Amino acid sequence: MHPALRARARSLTAAGAIGALVSGVLLTTPHAASAAMSEGLACDTSSSGTFSLTASDGYVSTPDGNSIYMWSYGASSRGFQLPGPTLCVESGRTVTVVLHNSLPESTSIVFPGQRGVRANGAPAQPQFDDGGSLTSLVQAAAPGDGSVTYTFTAGSPGTYLYESGTDVSKQVQMGMYGALVVRPAGHPDQVNDRADSRFTADKDYVFLLSEVDPDVHLAVERNQPIDDSAYTARYFMINGRSMPDTLAPNGASWLPNQPYGAVVHIKPYDAATNPYPAAIRYLNAGTVNYPFHPHGSDERVVDRDGHALEGPNHEDLSFQKYDLDVGPGQTLDVLMDWRDVEHWNALTNPVPTKLPAITDQDLVGTDTWFSESPYLGTKNALPTSITSNNQCGEYYHIAHSHALEQATNYGATFGGMMTVFRIDPPNGCQAQ
Amino acid sequence: MVLSLRVLRPSVPTALRAVAVLVVALLVCLLARNLLLTPADATTASVPQNATMEAQLGIRFSRVAVVGDGGLVTVTYVVLDAEKAQQLQASQAHPPVLSSESRKGSTSRVSLMKQGHSLRAGQTYYLVYENTRGALRHGERVTITDGALRLAHVPVL
Repeated sequence: MHPALRARARSLTAAGAIGALVSGVLLTTPHAASAAMSEGLACDTSSSGTFSLTASDGYVSTPDGNSIYMWSYGASSRGFQLPGPTLCVESGRTVTVVLHNSLPESTSIVFPGQRGVRANGAPAQPQFDDGGSLTSLVQAAAPGDGSVTYTFTAGSPGTYLYESGTDVSKQVQMGMYGALVVRPAGHPDQVNDRADSRFTADKDYVFLLSEVDPDVHLAVERNQPIDDSAYTARYFMINGRSMPDTLAPNGASWLPNQPYGAVVHIKPYDAATNPYPAAIRYLNAGTVNYPFHPHGSDERVVDRDGHALEGPNHEDLSFQKYDLDVGPGQTLDVLMDWRDVEHWNALTNPVPTKLPAITDQDLVGTDTWFSESPYLGTKNALPTSITSNNQCGEYYHIAHSHALEQATNYGATFGGMMTVFRIDPPNGCQAQ
Repeated sequence: MVLSLRVLRPSVPTALRAVAVLVVALLVCLLARNLLLTPADATTASVPQNATMEAQLGIRFSRVAVVGDGGLVTVTYVVLDAEKAQQLQASQAHPPVLSSESRKGSTSRVSLMKQGHSLRAGQTYYLVYENTRGALRHGERVTITDGALRLAHVPVL
C-alpha cells in the first residue's frame, strides 16, 4: 500500500477506535437517575385520523406469577398488547380504523356512540349466515389475515369502549377491547364541550376495568369448548394489569404486553397555581358492575357514555360521587381534585399520628393501613406497627373496587382492581 | 491520467500525542467504569439467589421495582415454604431492608396492606415499600437484608 494511504488508513483506524470508545462510553453511561417514570394517558393519535390495528394473540402476566393466553387488538406497527391501544381523536373528525385479523376465527370492532359507522364503505350492520343466524354485530375480518376498514365520525366528546362485535362474550373476555377518547374540537384540555370540564392538561387518565376467567382462556388456547356455566372471574384488572402491577409505570419492562399503568398523580388544589382537576375516564369491559372508588375523595361525574351531564338548557347536572358504579359496557368520565379542607399544619393544626380509631386498621389480622399524616411535606415519626408512605411528603389514597373479591389476585387479598392516587406537596416532590 | 496520491504526513507534536494518549486512556477508564457500574438491564437482568436465605425465609425474591412514579417500591417473591413465608409476611416490625448499593439510602417500611391470610407454595406475592426520600432508583442495584441474611446486587427495575 502507498505510504500515504497507509498513514490515512492508520488515522482512520485510530479515529474509528476513538469514536468507538466515545460511543461505548456514551452508550454505557449509567442513566439510573434520569430514567423517566411515565404516567397517565398514553394516546395513539393520527393526523390523518387513520389507525391500523391487528387482532392477534399473546400472553399477559398476573402478579401471582401466572401467564394467561389472551387475544387483543394491537397497533399493527407494535404488535400484541392488552388492552388495545387508546385511540385519541377529535370530535367531528372522520376516523378510519383498518382491522387486520391474525386470529384463528373471524373478528370485528364495534364503535358504540360513534356516528355513521361504515365497514368497507357499506353501512356497518349485523351479519347473518344463510340460515338467518346472527354471526356478527358488524362486518368482520376473516381469519388468516383478512381485513376490514371501518370509518366513522367521532361522536360527542367523552370516552368510549371499542370492542369485538363477533362472538362477543368469548372475544371480549379474551381481551378484545380498548378505549376511544374523543376530545372536544379545539379544547383538548376539556372532557366535553363545557368549559367547566377543563382539567390539568397532563393529568388525564384512563381506567379500563376488566376481568379474566383463566379457565376460558385455557380452553381457547387448547382449542377446547368453553363451559359458560362455570364462568368465574379470578383476575380483575385496570388497563390490563392487576395490583401491584397497576402501580408500575407505562411501558414497564417486566410487563411487555401490558403497557398502561394506573397511578393518578396530582397536587393539591390551589386557586392560583393548580386550579384544575385531573380527568379520570372509567370504562367497564367486563360482565358485572365494578364499584370503584378512591379512599377519602369524591369524584365529580361529568360524562356518562360520552355524553355531558347537562340539562336541555345546558344546566350543569354533574354530581359528586364517592363510589362509582361502572356498569358493563358503560363509561364514566370524572374530575377529581384534592383539597386540604382541614388546613393541616404540623405546628398549628397537627394531626395526631397515633393509630386512628377506624375499622381499616385491622383489615389483615394485626396488620394496619394508615395513609400517613396528610401534612404534605412533613413526615412525623410513626410507631413501627403502623404502615406508612413517604418519598417526599406525598400522600396516597388507595383506590379499588369495593366489591372486595375484585380486589384480589385469584382470591389472594389484596390485588386485582386496585391502585393508588398520589398527591404531592404543593411545591412538588423534592425527592433526594 | 494518474493522479498523485502524495499526502503530506502531518507533523504531530509530542505534546499533542501525549494528550491524545491521555484522552484514549480516559475513555478506556470511563468505559470500564460504566461497564462495571452498568445499570440493571430491565429486560435481561436476573435476580441473584441465596440458598441459605431461601432455606431460612422460605421464599425466593423475584423482582424489585420502583413504582408509583418513584414513590413506592414493589418487592415480589415466590413462596418456597409456606409456613416460613408466613412468618416473613406477618412480620410488621422487621420486614427485609432494601439498601441502595449506590448511596446511603434504604427503606424498611412496608407501605400498603400486606397480601394474604395464607400463602401457597409456588405462588408469587408482593410487598410494597415506601421509597423513602428516593432511596432506590430505577436501574441500580440493592442489597436485601433480613437479619444476618443478605442478598446483594439485586437489580432495581
